[in-house]
Amino acid sequence: MAAKDSPLKQFEINPISNIELGGYDISFTNSSFAMLITVLVITLFLTLTVNTRSIIPSRMQLISELMYNFIAQLLSDTVGDNGKRYFPFVFSLFMFVLIGNMVGMIPYQFTFTSHIIVTFALAAVVFIGVTILGFINHGIKFFTFFYIPGVPFYMHPLLIPIEVISYLSRPISLSVRLFANMLAGHTLLKVFAGFVVSMPFFTGVFPLAFIVALTGLEILIAFLQAYVFAILTCLYINDAYHLH
Amino acid sequence: MPQLNPEFFVSQLFWLAVFFIFLFVFLWRVSLPRIATVLEKRQNKIDENLSSAKELQEQAMEIEKKINDQINKAKLETDEKIKETINALQEDVSSQLSSLDKDLEKKVSDAEKEILKSKDDQMKNINNEIINITKLTVGKITDIELSDNELNKVIETHKGNFN
Repeated sequence: MAAKDSPLKQFEINPISNIELGGYDISFTNSSFAMLITVLVITLFLTLTVNTRSIIPSRMQLISELMYNFIAQLLSDTVGDNGKRYFPFVFSLFMFVLIGNMVGMIPYQFTFTSHIIVTFALAAVVFIGVTILGFINHGIKFFTFFYIPGVPFYMHPLLIPIEVISYLSRPISLSVRLFANMLAGHTLLKVFAGFVVSMPFFTGVFPLAFIVALTGLEILIAFLQAYVFAILTCLYINDAYHLH
Repeated sequence: MPQLNPEFFVSQLFWLAVFFIFLFVFLWRVSLPRIATVLEKRQNKIDENLSSAKELQEQAMEIEKKINDQINKAKLETDEKIKETINALQEDVSSQLSSLDKDLEKKVSDAEKEILKSKDDQMKNINNEIINITKLTVGKITDIELSDNELNKVIETHKGNFN
């Protein structure tokens, strides 16, 4: 397969305008453009639909309220009352990943969540924030997070390193989960799209039908991964409050 | 794999930071408070309606209680009135009956008196007739003039015989 037809070509970053700042290349790329569209969609939708502030909501206002309540419920279920102050952050994170994934489902649109550097940056923000939060809440006692009570003492030399490693791998698992899902889904779609063109006669209809079904699945995964990202963030915040 | 090409890492991180921070601040300061006010307003409205509904229900229950009280009171009053009327009627009837009894008694005793009087009168008449007849008979047979007193005496002595 030629390089220009590679299923990974869709993930290539192309600068739209070249910008340099302090010796760093911060060109506005197709990835940045997708982020811009995502942010515009979220801010415009959430602002315009709630503009009338009517007590009996329109359908669009109801969607905004549903998303608000969805994340508010998620936070109060996992973190409790302490979670309210992190609501704007978790909500922004959820909407950013969700709409980023959805924008990626538009054909020929770039999916910025399929880039490990983006997802890792988001996960790192969560990880660092949660760790700082843990130290603020518990001080040096935060290290008891790695000590599991009620286990025979000779198990601790084994368990404490495992706990530390699992804690440190949180940002990796969080970011790779989202990145790999998006990468795999879009690659698969592209591969089958290639079959539609390359298969003889009318047999191309079958991969096309498969693409239609797969698109539905991908939309589900787009939502699911945003949800997973948000709920794991909530759980990590909860851990920073209640060590075990 | 384009994801592992570090050429645009800085650019992606920079724009991610710009857009995500903008999104976060915008949602935090503008969009979410708006939705929160709408939800709060609606909750207040619902609470208000619920409390007013509760109030109205209480009022309705009070009114119902009043109506029941009045019905009970009216029932008691009518019962009382019925009893009073029955008593008054009974008294009336008994007084009329007793006055009728008195009248009748009086009439009976009057009649008895009259009967006795007429009996006496008849007896007197009979005496007079006896006297007259005796006078006439004696006069016709014997030519003796008997006085009324003498005859009366004789009759009185024999009165028991024809009574």
